Amino acid sequence: MAEDILRVEDLRTYFYSFTKEAFIRAVDGVSFNIKKGEVLGIVGESGCGKSITAQSIMGLITDGPGIITGNIFLNNNGNTVNLLDGLPDYASIKKKRKAIYEISKDVLGWQKRSETLMNGIRGMVISMIFQNPKSALNPFMPIGEQIAESIMLHKAIATKKEALSFAAAWLERVQIDSPNMRLYDYPFSLSGGMCQRIMIAMSLSSEPSLLIADEPTTGLDVTIQTKIIELLKKLKEELNLTILLITHDMGVIMQLADKIAVMYGGKIVEYGLKREIMDNDSFIRHPYTIALLNSLPTIEEIRAKERLRAIKGDVPDTITLYRGCRFYDRCTLKNDRIKNKCKESEPEMIEIGTGHLMRCWLAE
Amino acid sequence: MTHFISWRPILKILSRELLITILLLLGVSIIIFSILHMAPGDPLHIFINIQTQNPDEIAAIKRDLGLDRWLPLQYLSWLNNILHGNFGNSFRTGRPVFNELIGVSLYTLILTIGSMIVTLLISVPIAIFSSLRRHPVLSWGLTLLAYIFSALPVFWLGYIVIYIFTHKFNLFPFLSAGYAGTAKFNFLYFLLPIIVLGVGNGAISEIIRHLNAQLERVLSEDYIKAAKAKGASIWRHSFKEGMLIPVTTMVAAKIPFILGGAVIVEQVFNWPGMGRLAWQAALDRDYPIIMGITIFAAFFVHIGRFLQTIVYLFVDPQITAKGEEA
Repeated sequence: MAEDILRVEDLRTYFYSFTKEAFIRAVDGVSFNIKKGEVLGIVGESGCGKSITAQSIMGLITDGPGIITGNIFLNNNGNTVNLLDGLPDYASIKKKRKAIYEISKDVLGWQKRSETLMNGIRGMVISMIFQNPKSALNPFMPIGEQIAESIMLHKAIATKKEALSFAAAWLERVQIDSPNMRLYDYPFSLSGGMCQRIMIAMSLSSEPSLLIADEPTTGLDVTIQTKIIELLKKLKEELNLTILLITHDMGVIMQLADKIAVMYGGKIVEYGLKREIMDNDSFIRHPYTIALLNSLPTIEEIRAKERLRAIKGDVPDTITLYRGCRFYDRCTLKNDRIKNKCKESEPEMIEIGTGHLMRCWLAE
Repeated sequence: MTHFISWRPILKILSRELLITILLLLGVSIIIFSILHMAPGDPLHIFINIQTQNPDEIAAIKRDLGLDRWLPLQYLSWLNNILHGNFGNSFRTGRPVFNELIGVSLYTLILTIGSMIVTLLISVPIAIFSSLRRHPVLSWGLTLLAYIFSALPVFWLGYIVIYIFTHKFNLFPFLSAGYAGTAKFNFLYFLLPIIVLGVGNGAISEIIRHLNAQLERVLSEDYIKAAKAKGASIWRHSFKEGMLIPVTTMVAAKIPFILGGAVIVEQVFNWPGMGRLAWQAALDRDYPIIMGITIFAAFFVHIGRFLQTIVYLFVDPQITAKGEEA
């Protein structure tokens, strides 16, 4: 079996809200792993903690009071490094009174340590592409210069001229016409789809081991979306890319992912290979996955102009502590037999097939 | 890096700026001319009354200075002279206004630019430091200190500084720039007024606030996050939008205030600049000098705006693109 590129263990990212005087548990104990050449799709509604997961991995969360714990093991050319290595040293919990704890943190110290840990990893080993590509490119720099900057930072290329020709080659690779002319264009004169292609070229130009694609198709036209997905698919096959794909679009997941993690309320509720989860014969699925899949209209339904089957209700806020299942209120499959159990205690991850885990009492 | 800069839109914008400059100077001169002649008192009462009471002689002097003509006609003749490069002669000294102004405006430029640099040297590091949010208490304290300093009235600050540094400690010479020619430590004469105007012109707090807000906004932009994600320096990426543009904007906006402050500082420190000349000319109702100074000051202020436009042109590619459409 191929080696793990990334292994995330029990990642928790909490933010503290002063107005509500409580922690927002944006990411609450997430574990997954990605093997070389694999595409892991993290899917879920907005506000499920998908993007925060990605940003935690990249070490991009620096703002605001909060807590981050867990382990992120990254395979950096054979050496496994923990991106959150030594994090517990920077925080200490003191018992003040009965059941009142004081957390003291050395945020500055940790940020410094994180920067040294991430140095040589950001952009080099892990690259990231963002949603809204137009705002993710620097509007005051020609795109050629931006790609060349990335190349010169991470590759053994010293002259700008060489880097620019390298950049042009990458632009061609992401199917941009007349790349030598485009090098001098500014992002405002390019379309959203073009900008995303340029982002892809920029992040792949350093040949990273892992590409994090944070909603790569959000904010683009539907036709452009398909083209971007096709491009990612093609590049994945050409370069044997490892991708952490984050999206709320089941269609994108279906086309690209090998493995799926369904997130809900900051937790992974279902995790497994795509063929296991999406297989029509598979009779056990998490109710949330079923609801997500059902919300995708089929062609017949579109022809018949039926209403979209959205999931009723809203994503639960991650502030309130739930005793039971977080999906309880919106679950359509809860039955009288397990209803009380659903309400009273939160289900654990249960293995229901090889590598197929699920967090539901129905699975028992 | 070779940019494809298209010069046509840039020239278009610059020529538009030039047109605005001309219209502005015209407007300023008309307004100042009207205000001058609406104000009570006239040069004749201030100079001539001491020398002669003879109405015939007064009328002769009046005719000589051209003050007996219809007001619009006076303005037009002044304008005509300006177009021929003649700013007229001072009522008081009789010397050409232009020659007199060139000398003093150099001193004012030194004072203004020097104090602008002092202001920037104080405010920019504080703004950057507090936008890092590393040491909130310290940056809060520094900001508060800067606010207090810029709330101090500049004339008071000037006298206090003179009292402390020249009277008590005798560190700086009392006389300033104009008499510096023979002195040993030439730059010392310049230092004190420049620092006082730099600290006390009230721009520090506003530059800190504006730059801090802009920098924090830019640092939270997506493209800065993306730059960080690719391992690049966020300062390199945020420099243009986060620092260069806000600083230029504030400098251009603050030049009038600094010129205003210069008038007071020049009085306090006996600095032979435009401000002191303007003060004297206003007391004397020396119309040609006042008009000349106004035109010079408007020109300086507009130069700031002009530089701002040029910086914008070369920083923001979208402006050149828009200029092409316009």
